Amino acid sequence: MTTTSSRLSTSQGVPVTGRPGGAGPVQPTVVNDAVEGPFDLVDTVFEVADVSVFYGDYEAVRNVDMKIGKRRITAMIGPSGCGKSTLLRCFNRMNDLIPGTRLGGKITFHGEDLYGDHVDPIEVRRRIGMVFQKPNPFPKSIYDNIAYGPRVNGVKRGLDDLVEEALVGAALWDEVKDKLKQNALALSGGQQQRLCIARTIAVKPEVILMDEPCSALDPIATAKIEDLMQNLTRDYTIVIVTHNMQQAARVSHRTAFFTADVDREGVRHGRLVEYDETSKLFTTPSDERTEAYITGRFG
Amino acid sequence: MTTAPARHRTENPSLAGRFRPLEPLFKGMLLASLALAVLFLVVLLSYVVTEGWDRLDPRLWENFPSKLYPERAGAQSAIVGTIYVIALTGAFCVPIGVMTAIYLEEYADGSRWWNRMIELNIQNLAGVPSIVYGILGLGVIARGLDLGRTLLTASLTLSLLVLPVVIIAAREAIRAVPGSIRQASLALGATPWQTIARQVLPAAVPGIATGVILALSRAIGEAAPLLLLGAVTHITFNPSGITDSYTVLPIQIFNWTKQPEAEFHTLASAAIVILLFILLAMNSVAIWVRNRYQKRW
Repeated sequence: MTTTSSRLSTSQGVPVTGRPGGAGPVQPTVVNDAVEGPFDLVDTVFEVADVSVFYGDYEAVRNVDMKIGKRRITAMIGPSGCGKSTLLRCFNRMNDLIPGTRLGGKITFHGEDLYGDHVDPIEVRRRIGMVFQKPNPFPKSIYDNIAYGPRVNGVKRGLDDLVEEALVGAALWDEVKDKLKQNALALSGGQQQRLCIARTIAVKPEVILMDEPCSALDPIATAKIEDLMQNLTRDYTIVIVTHNMQQAARVSHRTAFFTADVDREGVRHGRLVEYDETSKLFTTPSDERTEAYITGRFG
Repeated sequence: MTTAPARHRTENPSLAGRFRPLEPLFKGMLLASLALAVLFLVVLLSYVVTEGWDRLDPRLWENFPSKLYPERAGAQSAIVGTIYVIALTGAFCVPIGVMTAIYLEEYADGSRWWNRMIELNIQNLAGVPSIVYGILGLGVIARGLDLGRTLLTASLTLSLLVLPVVIIAAREAIRAVPGSIRQASLALGATPWQTIARQVLPAAVPGIATGVILALSRAIGEAAPLLLLGAVTHITFNPSGITDSYTVLPIQIFNWTKQPEAEFHTLASAAIVILLFILLAMNSVAIWVRNRYQKRW
Protein backbone atom coordinates (compact mmCIF):
# COMPACT_ATOMS: atom_id res chain seq x y z
CA MET A 1 0.00 0.00 0.00
CA THR A 2 1.18 3.47 0.75
CA THR A 3 3.86 4.65 3.08
CA THR A 4 1.32 4.92 5.85
CA SER A 5 0.44 1.25 5.87
CA SER A 6 2.62 0.36 8.84
CA ARG A 7 0.94 2.98 10.98
CA LEU A 8 -2.44 1.82 9.87
CA SER A 9 -2.22 -1.78 10.88
CA THR A 10 -2.57 -1.56 14.64
CA SER A 11 -5.45 0.72 15.38
CA GLN A 12 -8.12 -0.11 12.83
CA GLY A 13 -11.39 -0.04 14.73
CA VAL A 14 -9.90 0.94 18.07
CA PRO A 15 -12.22 3.33 19.94
CA VAL A 16 -11.31 6.98 20.02
CA THR A 17 -11.13 7.19 23.79
CA GLY A 18 -7.88 6.70 25.58
CA ARG A 19 -5.85 8.36 22.88
CA PRO A 20 -2.54 9.46 24.34
CA GLY A 21 -1.72 13.14 24.46
CA GLY A 22 -5.23 14.50 24.85
CA ALA A 23 -6.94 15.54 21.67
CA GLY A 24 -8.27 18.93 22.74
CA PRO A 25 -11.57 19.89 21.12
CA VAL A 26 -13.57 16.90 20.03
CA GLN A 27 -13.63 16.37 16.31
CA PRO A 28 -16.87 15.70 14.47
CA THR A 29 -17.92 12.10 14.59
CA VAL A 30 -16.72 10.36 11.52
CA VAL A 31 -19.38 8.31 9.84
CA ASN A 32 -18.75 7.00 6.40
CA ASP A 33 -21.32 4.41 5.55
CA ALA A 34 -19.88 4.15 2.11
CA VAL A 35 -16.61 2.71 3.32
CA GLU A 36 -17.08 -0.86 2.38
CA GLY A 37 -13.77 -2.44 3.05
CA PRO A 38 -10.08 -1.97 3.49
CA PHE A 39 -8.36 0.21 0.98
CA ASP A 40 -6.31 -2.66 -0.38
CA LEU A 41 -9.41 -4.12 -1.97
CA VAL A 42 -10.18 -0.97 -3.94
CA ASP A 43 -8.84 -0.51 -7.47
CA THR A 44 -6.20 2.17 -7.73
CA VAL A 45 -7.00 5.04 -10.11
CA PHE A 46 -4.04 7.30 -9.50
CA GLU A 47 -0.70 6.29 -8.17
CA VAL A 48 1.51 9.17 -7.17
CA ALA A 49 5.15 8.12 -6.87
CA ASP A 50 7.73 10.49 -5.41
CA VAL A 51 6.09 13.49 -7.05
CA SER A 52 7.52 16.98 -6.75
CA VAL A 53 6.01 19.97 -8.53
CA PHE A 54 8.12 22.95 -9.56
CA TYR A 55 7.10 26.43 -10.63
CA GLY A 56 10.32 27.48 -12.32
CA ASP A 57 12.99 26.88 -9.68
CA TYR A 58 10.53 26.86 -6.81
CA GLU A 59 9.58 23.44 -5.55
CA ALA A 60 5.97 23.82 -4.44
CA VAL A 61 5.35 20.20 -3.48
CA ARG A 62 8.02 17.71 -2.48
CA ASN A 63 8.21 13.91 -2.69
CA VAL A 64 4.57 12.90 -2.46
CA ASP A 65 3.55 9.25 -2.54
CA MET A 66 -0.10 8.28 -2.50
CA LYS A 67 -2.69 6.07 -4.14
CA ILE A 68 -6.21 7.15 -4.96
CA GLY A 69 -8.91 4.52 -4.95
CA LYS A 70 -11.68 4.02 -7.48
CA ARG A 71 -15.14 5.34 -6.59
CA ARG A 72 -13.82 6.73 -3.37
CA ILE A 73 -13.73 10.29 -2.12
CA THR A 74 -10.20 11.27 -1.28
CA ALA A 75 -9.78 14.52 0.61
CA MET A 76 -6.66 16.63 0.68
CA ILE A 77 -6.45 18.97 3.64
CA GLY A 78 -3.81 21.24 5.08
CA PRO A 79 -2.96 24.87 5.68
CA SER A 80 -2.72 27.41 2.85
CA GLY A 81 0.34 27.12 0.66
CA CYS A 82 0.94 23.45 1.37
CA GLY A 83 0.61 22.49 -2.28
CA LYS A 84 -2.59 20.48 -2.16
CA SER A 85 -4.25 22.41 -4.99
CA THR A 86 -1.03 22.30 -6.96
CA LEU A 87 -0.98 18.52 -6.68
CA LEU A 88 -4.68 18.28 -7.54
CA ARG A 89 -4.11 20.25 -10.73
CA CYS A 90 -1.45 17.75 -11.77
CA PHE A 91 -4.05 14.99 -11.94
CA ASN A 92 -5.70 16.48 -15.04
CA ARG A 93 -2.68 18.42 -16.26
CA MET A 94 -4.21 21.82 -15.63
CA ASN A 95 -0.78 22.86 -14.37
CA ASP A 96 0.45 22.61 -17.96
CA LEU A 97 -1.28 25.95 -18.51
CA ILE A 98 1.07 27.73 -16.12
CA PRO A 99 4.35 28.38 -17.93
CA GLY A 100 7.39 26.99 -16.15
CA THR A 101 5.56 24.22 -14.29
CA ARG A 102 7.48 20.97 -14.11
CA LEU A 103 6.75 17.64 -12.51
CA GLY A 104 9.28 15.34 -10.91
CA GLY A 105 8.44 11.72 -10.12
CA LYS A 106 5.53 9.95 -11.71
CA ILE A 107 1.74 10.02 -11.64
CA THR A 108 0.02 7.07 -13.23
CA PHE A 109 -3.64 6.82 -14.19
CA HIS A 110 -4.64 3.14 -14.30
CA GLY A 111 -0.98 2.34 -14.64
CA GLU A 112 -0.41 4.73 -17.56
CA ASP A 113 2.06 7.57 -17.06
CA LEU A 114 -0.03 10.77 -17.11
CA TYR A 115 2.96 12.77 -18.25
CA GLY A 116 4.16 10.30 -20.86
CA ASP A 117 5.14 11.62 -24.29
CA HIS A 118 2.20 9.97 -26.02
CA VAL A 119 -0.38 11.43 -23.60
CA ASP A 120 -2.70 14.12 -24.95
CA PRO A 121 -3.67 16.56 -22.16
CA ILE A 122 -6.97 17.24 -23.92
CA GLU A 123 -7.90 13.56 -23.63
CA VAL A 124 -6.69 13.51 -20.01
CA ARG A 125 -9.00 16.41 -19.13
CA ARG A 126 -11.92 14.72 -20.84
CA ARG A 127 -11.43 11.65 -18.66
CA ILE A 128 -10.60 13.60 -15.51
CA GLY A 129 -12.94 16.55 -14.94
CA MET A 130 -12.51 19.45 -12.59
CA VAL A 131 -14.74 21.68 -10.48
CA PHE A 132 -13.21 24.95 -9.37
CA GLN A 133 -13.27 26.97 -6.20
CA LYS A 134 -15.39 29.77 -7.57
CA PRO A 135 -18.41 28.70 -9.62
CA ASN A 136 -17.46 29.58 -13.20
CA PRO A 137 -20.41 29.00 -15.51
CA PHE A 138 -20.03 30.23 -19.07
CA PRO A 139 -22.03 33.38 -19.82
CA LYS A 140 -24.50 31.27 -21.77
CA SER A 141 -27.78 29.48 -21.12
CA ILE A 142 -28.00 26.63 -18.63
CA TYR A 143 -28.52 24.25 -21.53
CA ASP A 144 -25.50 25.51 -23.45
CA ASN A 145 -23.33 25.29 -20.34
CA ILE A 146 -24.08 21.59 -19.94
CA ALA A 147 -23.97 20.86 -23.66
CA TYR A 148 -20.62 22.61 -24.09
CA GLY A 149 -18.48 19.66 -22.99
CA PRO A 150 -20.22 17.08 -25.18
CA ARG A 151 -20.21 19.55 -28.08
CA VAL A 152 -16.49 20.22 -27.99
CA ASN A 153 -15.99 16.48 -27.84
CA GLY A 154 -17.92 16.07 -31.06
CA VAL A 155 -21.32 14.94 -29.75
CA LYS A 156 -24.07 16.29 -32.00
CA ARG A 157 -27.09 14.10 -31.35
CA GLY A 158 -28.92 13.28 -28.14
CA LEU A 159 -27.80 16.46 -26.43
CA ASP A 160 -31.20 17.00 -24.79
CA ASP A 161 -30.97 13.65 -23.03
CA LEU A 162 -27.37 14.25 -22.03
CA VAL A 163 -28.26 17.64 -20.54
CA GLU A 164 -31.15 16.20 -18.57
CA GLU A 165 -29.11 13.26 -17.37
CA ALA A 166 -26.28 15.51 -16.19
CA LEU A 167 -28.63 17.91 -14.41
CA VAL A 168 -30.43 15.04 -12.71
CA GLY A 169 -27.07 13.62 -11.72
CA ALA A 170 -26.09 16.91 -10.15
CA ALA A 171 -29.44 17.21 -8.33
CA LEU A 172 -30.28 20.41 -10.20
CA TRP A 173 -32.86 19.22 -12.73
CA ASP A 174 -35.97 20.01 -10.67
CA GLU A 175 -34.79 23.53 -10.00
CA VAL A 176 -33.91 24.45 -13.57
CA LYS A 177 -35.95 22.22 -15.88
CA ASP A 178 -38.29 25.09 -16.78
CA LYS A 179 -35.58 27.61 -17.48
CA LEU A 180 -32.94 25.77 -19.46
CA LYS A 181 -32.68 28.66 -21.93
CA GLN A 182 -32.01 31.20 -19.20
CA ASN A 183 -28.56 32.59 -18.55
CA ALA A 184 -26.67 30.41 -16.11
CA LEU A 185 -25.32 33.49 -14.34
CA ALA A 186 -28.81 34.20 -13.01
CA LEU A 187 -28.61 31.11 -10.77
CA SER A 188 -27.56 31.33 -7.13
CA GLY A 189 -23.98 30.53 -6.16
CA GLY A 190 -24.83 27.04 -4.93
CA GLN A 191 -26.87 26.32 -8.06
CA GLN A 192 -24.02 27.61 -10.21
CA GLN A 193 -21.62 25.23 -8.51
CA ARG A 194 -23.97 22.29 -9.02
CA LEU A 195 -24.28 23.44 -12.65
CA CYS A 196 -20.49 23.25 -12.89
CA ILE A 197 -20.62 19.71 -11.50
CA ALA A 198 -23.37 18.84 -13.97
CA ARG A 199 -21.29 20.34 -16.77
CA THR A 200 -18.39 18.15 -15.69
CA ILE A 201 -20.37 14.92 -15.53
CA ALA A 202 -21.98 15.64 -18.92
CA VAL A 203 -18.60 14.72 -20.44
CA LYS A 204 -18.84 11.37 -18.58
CA PRO A 205 -15.42 11.51 -16.99
CA GLU A 206 -14.08 8.87 -14.69
CA VAL A 207 -12.68 11.17 -12.06
CA ILE A 208 -13.91 14.51 -10.74
CA LEU A 209 -11.33 16.75 -9.15
CA MET A 210 -12.79 19.38 -6.83
CA ASP A 211 -10.70 22.33 -5.76
CA GLU A 212 -12.37 23.74 -2.64
CA PRO A 213 -15.79 23.48 -4.30
CA CYS A 214 -17.73 24.85 -1.33
CA SER A 215 -15.51 27.63 -0.10
CA ALA A 216 -17.63 30.29 -1.81
CA LEU A 217 -20.95 28.78 -0.70
CA ASP A 218 -23.23 29.06 2.33
CA PRO A 219 -23.78 26.05 4.64
CA ILE A 220 -27.03 24.93 3.00
CA ALA A 221 -25.55 24.97 -0.48
CA THR A 222 -22.49 23.21 0.95
CA ALA A 223 -24.64 20.47 2.44
CA LYS A 224 -26.32 19.93 -0.93
CA ILE A 225 -22.98 19.58 -2.67
CA GLU A 226 -21.75 17.17 0.00
CA ASP A 227 -24.86 15.00 -0.44
CA LEU A 228 -24.32 15.14 -4.16
CA MET A 229 -20.73 13.98 -3.75
CA GLN A 230 -21.86 10.94 -1.80
CA ASN A 231 -24.26 10.05 -4.61
CA LEU A 232 -21.64 10.60 -7.25
CA THR A 233 -19.34 7.96 -5.75
CA ARG A 234 -21.56 5.33 -7.33
CA ASP A 235 -20.02 6.24 -10.67
CA TYR A 236 -17.13 8.55 -10.06
CA THR A 237 -13.85 8.78 -8.27
CA ILE A 238 -13.63 12.10 -6.46
CA VAL A 239 -10.57 13.92 -5.20
CA ILE A 240 -11.39 17.02 -3.19
CA VAL A 241 -9.17 19.74 -1.81
CA THR A 242 -10.79 21.46 1.13
CA HIS A 243 -9.92 23.97 3.80
CA ASN A 244 -12.80 22.70 5.85
CA MET A 245 -11.68 19.80 8.03
CA GLN A 246 -15.24 18.93 9.04
CA GLN A 247 -16.08 18.64 5.38
CA ALA A 248 -13.21 16.23 4.79
CA ALA A 249 -14.35 14.24 7.84
CA ARG A 250 -17.96 14.19 6.66
CA VAL A 251 -17.53 13.25 3.03
CA SER A 252 -14.27 11.46 2.42
CA HIS A 253 -13.15 7.89 2.71
CA ARG A 254 -9.51 8.71 2.87
CA THR A 255 -7.77 11.91 3.84
CA ALA A 256 -4.33 13.18 3.00
CA PHE A 257 -2.90 15.80 5.32
CA PHE A 258 -0.39 18.19 3.76
CA THR A 259 1.67 20.83 5.42
CA ALA A 260 4.44 23.21 4.44
CA ASP A 261 8.01 22.64 5.58
CA VAL A 262 10.29 25.63 5.76
CA ASP A 263 13.81 24.82 4.63
CA ARG A 264 17.07 26.45 5.68
CA GLU A 265 16.65 29.33 3.21
CA GLY A 266 13.18 30.04 4.52
CA VAL A 267 11.44 28.64 1.43
CA ARG A 268 8.18 26.73 1.96
CA HIS A 269 7.67 23.33 0.37
CA GLY A 270 4.44 21.39 0.53
CA ARG A 271 4.70 17.88 1.94
CA LEU A 272 2.36 14.98 2.50
CA VAL A 273 2.44 14.25 6.22
CA GLU A 274 -0.12 11.53 6.61
CA TYR A 275 -2.52 9.69 4.37
CA ASP A 276 -5.01 7.32 5.86
CA GLU A 277 -8.59 6.23 6.27
CA THR A 278 -10.50 9.37 7.19
CA SER A 279 -11.86 7.80 10.38
CA LYS A 280 -8.36 6.89 11.45
CA LEU A 281 -6.73 10.20 10.51
CA PHE A 282 -9.26 12.28 12.40
CA THR A 283 -9.35 10.14 15.53
CA THR A 284 -5.94 8.57 15.97
CA PRO A 285 -3.50 10.37 13.72
CA SER A 286 -0.01 8.90 13.74
CA ASP A 287 1.84 12.16 13.19
CA GLU A 288 1.84 14.88 15.80
CA ARG A 289 1.60 17.59 13.12
CA THR A 290 -1.65 16.04 11.93
CA GLU A 291 -2.94 15.98 15.44
CA ALA A 292 -1.97 19.58 16.03
CA TYR A 293 -3.76 20.60 12.84
CA ILE A 294 -7.00 18.70 13.34
CA THR A 295 -7.28 19.80 16.96
CA GLY A 296 -6.93 23.41 15.90
CA ARG A 297 -3.52 24.14 17.34
CA PHE A 298 -2.19 25.43 14.02
CA GLY A 299 -3.26 26.09 10.48
CA MET B 1 -3.27 54.96 26.20
CA THR B 2 -6.75 56.16 25.43
CA THR B 3 -6.01 59.86 25.17
CA ALA B 4 -6.55 60.10 21.43
CA PRO B 5 -10.11 58.77 21.32
CA ALA B 6 -11.02 60.67 24.47
CA ARG B 7 -9.86 63.97 23.02
CA HIS B 8 -11.67 63.19 19.83
CA ARG B 9 -14.88 62.65 21.72
CA THR B 10 -14.72 65.96 23.56
CA GLU B 11 -13.79 67.99 20.48
CA ASN B 12 -16.43 66.62 18.17
CA PRO B 13 -19.32 65.25 20.15
CA SER B 14 -21.89 65.34 17.36
CA LEU B 15 -22.05 63.37 14.15
CA ALA B 16 -21.85 66.54 12.10
CA GLY B 17 -19.47 66.29 9.18
CA ARG B 18 -16.35 68.35 8.85
CA PHE B 19 -15.97 70.91 6.10
CA ARG B 20 -14.37 69.06 3.18
CA PRO B 21 -13.71 71.61 0.43
CA LEU B 22 -11.87 69.21 -1.87
CA GLU B 23 -14.91 67.03 -2.53
CA PRO B 24 -17.12 69.64 -4.27
CA LEU B 25 -14.05 71.18 -5.90
CA PHE B 26 -13.03 67.91 -7.49
CA LYS B 27 -16.55 67.17 -8.65
CA GLY B 28 -16.72 70.67 -10.14
CA MET B 29 -13.50 70.09 -12.05
CA LEU B 30 -14.84 66.87 -13.52
CA LEU B 31 -18.03 68.57 -14.65
CA ALA B 32 -16.04 71.45 -16.15
CA SER B 33 -13.92 69.01 -18.18
CA LEU B 34 -17.03 67.30 -19.45
CA ALA B 35 -18.64 70.63 -20.32
CA LEU B 36 -15.55 71.72 -22.24
CA ALA B 37 -15.52 68.54 -24.36
CA VAL B 38 -19.23 68.78 -25.11
CA LEU B 39 -18.96 72.50 -25.85
CA PHE B 40 -16.27 72.00 -28.48
CA LEU B 41 -18.29 69.24 -30.11
CA VAL B 42 -21.41 71.42 -30.23
CA VAL B 43 -19.50 74.41 -31.60
CA LEU B 44 -17.86 72.28 -34.27
CA LEU B 45 -21.09 70.61 -35.34
CA SER B 46 -23.13 73.79 -35.42
CA TYR B 47 -20.38 75.58 -37.33
CA VAL B 48 -20.12 73.02 -40.13
CA VAL B 49 -23.87 72.55 -40.33
CA THR B 50 -24.59 76.29 -40.62
CA GLU B 51 -21.71 76.81 -43.05
CA GLY B 52 -22.71 73.91 -45.25
CA TRP B 53 -26.48 74.19 -44.88
CA ASP B 54 -27.01 75.77 -48.33
CA ARG B 55 -25.38 72.84 -50.07
CA LEU B 56 -26.72 69.98 -47.91
CA ASP B 57 -28.94 68.74 -50.67
CA PRO B 58 -29.05 65.77 -53.06
CA ARG B 59 -26.63 67.47 -55.43
CA LEU B 60 -23.92 66.64 -52.94
CA TRP B 61 -24.24 62.89 -53.38
CA GLU B 62 -25.75 62.81 -56.88
CA ASN B 63 -23.15 64.88 -58.69
CA PHE B 64 -19.46 64.53 -59.34
CA PRO B 65 -16.88 67.21 -58.56
CA SER B 66 -16.65 70.15 -60.91
CA LYS B 67 -13.86 72.69 -60.87
CA LEU B 68 -15.72 75.29 -62.85
CA TYR B 69 -19.30 75.18 -61.61
CA PRO B 70 -19.60 75.03 -57.82
CA GLU B 71 -23.39 74.96 -58.06
CA ARG B 72 -23.21 71.73 -60.00
CA ALA B 73 -20.40 70.12 -58.04
CA GLY B 74 -20.98 67.12 -55.79
CA ALA B 75 -18.95 64.57 -53.90
CA GLN B 76 -20.33 61.29 -55.12
CA SER B 77 -16.99 59.84 -56.15
CA ALA B 78 -15.48 60.82 -52.80
CA ILE B 79 -18.37 59.36 -50.78
CA VAL B 80 -18.23 56.08 -52.70
CA GLY B 81 -14.42 56.11 -52.49
CA THR B 82 -14.51 56.62 -48.73
CA ILE B 83 -16.96 53.75 -48.24
CA TYR B 84 -14.82 51.49 -50.44
CA VAL B 85 -11.58 52.42 -48.67
CA ILE B 86 -13.04 51.96 -45.19
CA ALA B 87 -14.72 48.66 -46.03
CA LEU B 88 -11.49 47.29 -47.51
CA THR B 89 -9.40 48.66 -44.64
CA GLY B 90 -11.72 46.93 -42.16
CA ALA B 91 -11.58 43.71 -44.16
CA PHE B 92 -7.77 43.76 -44.06
CA CYS B 93 -7.01 45.03 -40.58
CA VAL B 94 -9.69 43.34 -38.44
CA PRO B 95 -8.79 39.68 -39.13
CA ILE B 96 -5.05 40.35 -39.04
CA GLY B 97 -5.30 42.53 -35.94
CA VAL B 98 -7.52 40.12 -34.01
CA MET B 99 -5.42 37.11 -34.91
CA THR B 100 -2.25 38.94 -33.87
CA ALA B 101 -3.89 39.85 -30.58
CA ILE B 102 -4.97 36.23 -30.01
CA TYR B 103 -1.45 35.04 -30.64
CA LEU B 104 0.11 37.60 -28.32
CA GLU B 105 -2.41 37.04 -25.52
CA GLU B 106 -3.09 33.32 -25.70
CA TYR B 107 -0.03 31.69 -27.21
CA ALA B 108 3.06 33.90 -26.92
CA ASP B 109 5.25 33.37 -23.89
CA GLY B 110 5.59 36.86 -22.44
CA SER B 111 8.83 35.97 -20.71
CA ARG B 112 10.66 35.64 -24.05
CA TRP B 113 12.51 38.73 -25.16
CA TRP B 114 11.35 38.57 -28.76
CA ASN B 115 7.69 38.57 -27.73
CA ARG B 116 8.28 41.55 -25.47
CA MET B 117 10.06 43.31 -28.32
CA ILE B 118 7.11 42.69 -30.67
CA GLU B 119 4.78 44.17 -28.05
CA LEU B 120 6.95 47.23 -27.59
CA ASN B 121 7.16 47.78 -31.34
CA ILE B 122 3.41 47.52 -31.81
CA GLN B 123 2.95 50.19 -29.17
CA ASN B 124 5.50 52.39 -30.90
CA LEU B 125 3.90 51.85 -34.30
CA ALA B 126 0.63 53.20 -32.93
CA GLY B 127 2.38 56.53 -32.46
CA VAL B 128 4.07 56.83 -35.85
CA PRO B 129 2.77 59.86 -37.86
CA SER B 130 0.45 58.88 -40.67
CA ILE B 131 2.53 60.61 -43.35
CA VAL B 132 5.28 58.09 -42.64
CA TYR B 133 2.84 55.31 -43.49
CA GLY B 134 2.04 57.24 -46.67
CA ILE B 135 5.70 57.16 -47.68
CA LEU B 136 5.85 53.46 -46.79
CA GLY B 137 2.73 52.77 -48.84
CA LEU B 138 4.10 54.68 -51.80
CA GLY B 139 7.50 53.02 -51.67
CA VAL B 140 6.54 49.46 -50.81
CA ILE B 141 2.94 48.91 -51.87
CA ALA B 142 2.43 51.28 -54.78
CA ARG B 143 5.90 50.91 -56.28
CA GLY B 144 7.50 47.83 -54.71
CA LEU B 145 4.47 45.57 -55.16
CA ASP B 146 3.55 47.57 -58.26
CA LEU B 147 -0.05 48.02 -57.20
CA GLY B 148 -0.01 51.64 -58.34
CA ARG B 149 -2.01 54.49 -56.90
CA THR B 150 -5.19 52.50 -56.48
CA LEU B 151 -7.94 51.80 -53.94
CA LEU B 152 -6.10 48.64 -52.97
CA THR B 153 -2.91 50.53 -52.18
CA ALA B 154 -4.82 53.09 -50.13
CA SER B 155 -6.67 50.41 -48.14
CA LEU B 156 -3.54 48.40 -47.47
CA THR B 157 -1.68 51.51 -46.31
CA LEU B 158 -4.52 52.60 -44.03
CA SER B 159 -4.72 49.04 -42.69
CA LEU B 160 -1.07 49.21 -41.72
CA LEU B 161 -1.70 52.59 -40.14
CA VAL B 162 -4.54 51.43 -37.87
CA LEU B 163 -3.41 47.86 -37.30
CA PRO B 164 -1.56 48.72 -34.05
CA VAL B 165 -4.71 50.33 -32.65
CA VAL B 166 -6.79 47.26 -33.52
CA ILE B 167 -4.18 44.92 -32.01
CA ILE B 168 -3.90 46.88 -28.78
CA ALA B 169 -7.68 47.16 -28.34
CA ALA B 170 -8.26 43.49 -29.17
CA ARG B 171 -5.55 42.44 -26.73
CA GLU B 172 -7.15 44.47 -23.95
CA ALA B 173 -10.54 42.91 -24.72
CA ILE B 174 -9.12 39.38 -24.78
CA ARG B 175 -7.20 39.95 -21.57
CA ALA B 176 -10.38 41.13 -19.85
CA VAL B 177 -12.02 37.71 -20.34
CA PRO B 178 -11.65 35.96 -16.96
CA GLY B 179 -9.15 33.13 -16.81
CA SER B 180 -11.73 31.01 -15.00
CA ILE B 181 -13.71 30.78 -18.26
CA ARG B 182 -10.68 29.45 -20.13
CA GLN B 183 -9.94 26.97 -17.35
CA ALA B 184 -13.53 25.76 -17.26
CA SER B 185 -13.48 25.17 -20.99
CA LEU B 186 -10.12 23.40 -21.01
CA ALA B 187 -11.11 21.25 -18.02
CA LEU B 188 -14.03 19.92 -20.09
CA GLY B 189 -11.65 18.61 -22.71
CA ALA B 190 -11.90 21.53 -25.11
CA THR B 191 -8.82 22.27 -27.20
CA PRO B 192 -7.14 25.68 -26.87
CA TRP B 193 -8.57 26.74 -30.21
CA GLN B 194 -12.12 25.63 -29.26
CA THR B 195 -11.73 27.59 -26.05
CA ILE B 196 -10.70 30.72 -27.94
CA ALA B 197 -13.29 30.41 -30.69
CA ARG B 198 -16.25 29.49 -28.50
CA GLN B 199 -15.58 31.30 -25.24
CA VAL B 200 -12.85 33.92 -25.38
CA LEU B 201 -13.64 35.63 -28.69
CA PRO B 202 -17.43 35.91 -28.18
CA ALA B 203 -16.78 37.42 -24.78
CA ALA B 204 -14.21 39.83 -26.23
CA VAL B 205 -16.37 41.01 -29.15
CA PRO B 206 -17.68 44.19 -27.44
CA GLY B 207 -14.15 45.38 -26.66
CA ILE B 208 -12.85 44.43 -30.09
CA ALA B 209 -15.75 46.27 -31.77
CA THR B 210 -14.95 49.44 -29.85
CA GLY B 211 -11.31 49.22 -30.87
CA VAL B 212 -12.14 48.57 -34.49
CA ILE B 213 -14.42 51.59 -34.62
CA LEU B 214 -11.77 53.82 -33.07
CA ALA B 215 -9.30 52.54 -35.63
CA LEU B 216 -11.61 52.96 -38.62
CA SER B 217 -12.67 56.39 -37.39
CA ARG B 218 -9.05 57.37 -37.53
CA ALA B 219 -8.66 55.86 -41.00
CA ILE B 220 -11.76 57.57 -42.41
CA GLY B 221 -10.44 60.99 -41.52
CA GLU B 222 -6.91 60.47 -42.82
CA ALA B 223 -5.86 62.69 -45.71
CA ALA B 224 -2.10 62.92 -45.26
CA PRO B 225 -0.99 59.42 -46.34
CA LEU B 226 -3.51 59.38 -49.18
CA LEU B 227 -2.14 62.62 -50.57
CA LEU B 228 0.96 60.62 -51.39
CA LEU B 229 -1.03 57.72 -52.75
CA GLY B 230 -2.84 59.29 -55.63
CA ALA B 231 -6.03 60.54 -54.07
CA VAL B 232 -5.22 64.14 -54.96
CA THR B 233 -6.58 64.16 -58.45
CA HIS B 234 -9.97 65.42 -59.38
CA ILE B 235 -12.02 62.26 -60.01
CA THR B 236 -15.31 62.39 -61.86
CA PHE B 237 -16.20 58.70 -61.79
CA ASN B 238 -16.88 56.10 -59.11
CA PRO B 239 -14.32 53.36 -58.56
CA SER B 240 -15.56 50.15 -60.11
CA GLY B 241 -12.93 47.83 -58.68
CA ILE B 242 -10.10 47.69 -56.20
CA THR B 243 -7.52 48.54 -58.84
CA ASP B 244 -9.24 51.78 -59.85
CA SER B 245 -8.06 55.22 -58.94
CA TYR B 246 -10.17 56.95 -56.33
CA THR B 247 -10.67 59.90 -54.09
CA VAL B 248 -11.97 60.14 -50.53
CA LEU B 249 -13.92 62.76 -48.60
CA PRO B 250 -11.03 64.27 -46.59
CA ILE B 251 -9.12 64.83 -49.84
CA GLN B 252 -12.18 66.29 -51.56
CA ILE B 253 -12.77 68.60 -48.60
CA PHE B 254 -9.13 69.62 -48.68
CA ASN B 255 -9.35 70.38 -52.41
CA TRP B 256 -12.49 72.48 -52.04
CA THR B 257 -11.12 74.56 -49.19
CA LYS B 258 -8.18 75.46 -51.44
CA GLN B 259 -10.47 76.98 -54.08
CA PRO B 260 -10.89 80.77 -54.05
CA GLU B 261 -14.68 80.76 -54.56
CA ALA B 262 -16.80 80.91 -51.38
CA GLU B 263 -19.27 78.40 -52.87
CA PHE B 264 -16.61 75.72 -52.70
CA HIS B 265 -16.07 76.47 -49.02
CA THR B 266 -19.78 75.91 -48.40
CA LEU B 267 -19.47 72.70 -50.33
CA ALA B 268 -16.54 71.64 -48.11
CA SER B 269 -18.60 72.17 -44.96
CA ALA B 270 -21.45 70.15 -46.42
CA ALA B 271 -19.01 67.35 -47.24
CA ILE B 272 -17.74 67.44 -43.64
CA VAL B 273 -21.30 66.84 -42.46
CA ILE B 274 -21.51 63.84 -44.78
CA LEU B 275 -18.20 62.53 -43.43
CA LEU B 276 -19.46 62.91 -39.85
CA PHE B 277 -22.67 61.17 -40.83
CA ILE B 278 -20.78 58.16 -42.20
CA LEU B 279 -18.72 58.09 -39.00
CA LEU B 280 -21.88 58.17 -36.90
CA ALA B 281 -23.40 55.33 -38.91
CA MET B 282 -20.27 53.24 -38.32
CA ASN B 283 -20.39 54.00 -34.62
CA SER B 284 -24.03 52.93 -34.38
CA VAL B 285 -23.12 49.58 -35.90
CA ALA B 286 -20.40 49.20 -33.27
CA ILE B 287 -22.77 50.08 -30.45
CA TRP B 288 -25.29 47.61 -31.78
CA VAL B 289 -22.64 44.86 -31.91
CA ARG B 290 -21.45 45.75 -28.44
CA ASN B 291 -24.91 45.59 -26.91
CA ARG B 292 -25.70 42.37 -28.64
CA TYR B 293 -22.64 40.65 -27.26
CA GLN B 294 -22.52 42.41 -23.91
CA LYS B 295 -21.75 39.91 -21.15
CA ARG B 296 -21.77 40.19 -17.43
CA TRP B 297 -19.70 37.93 -15.27
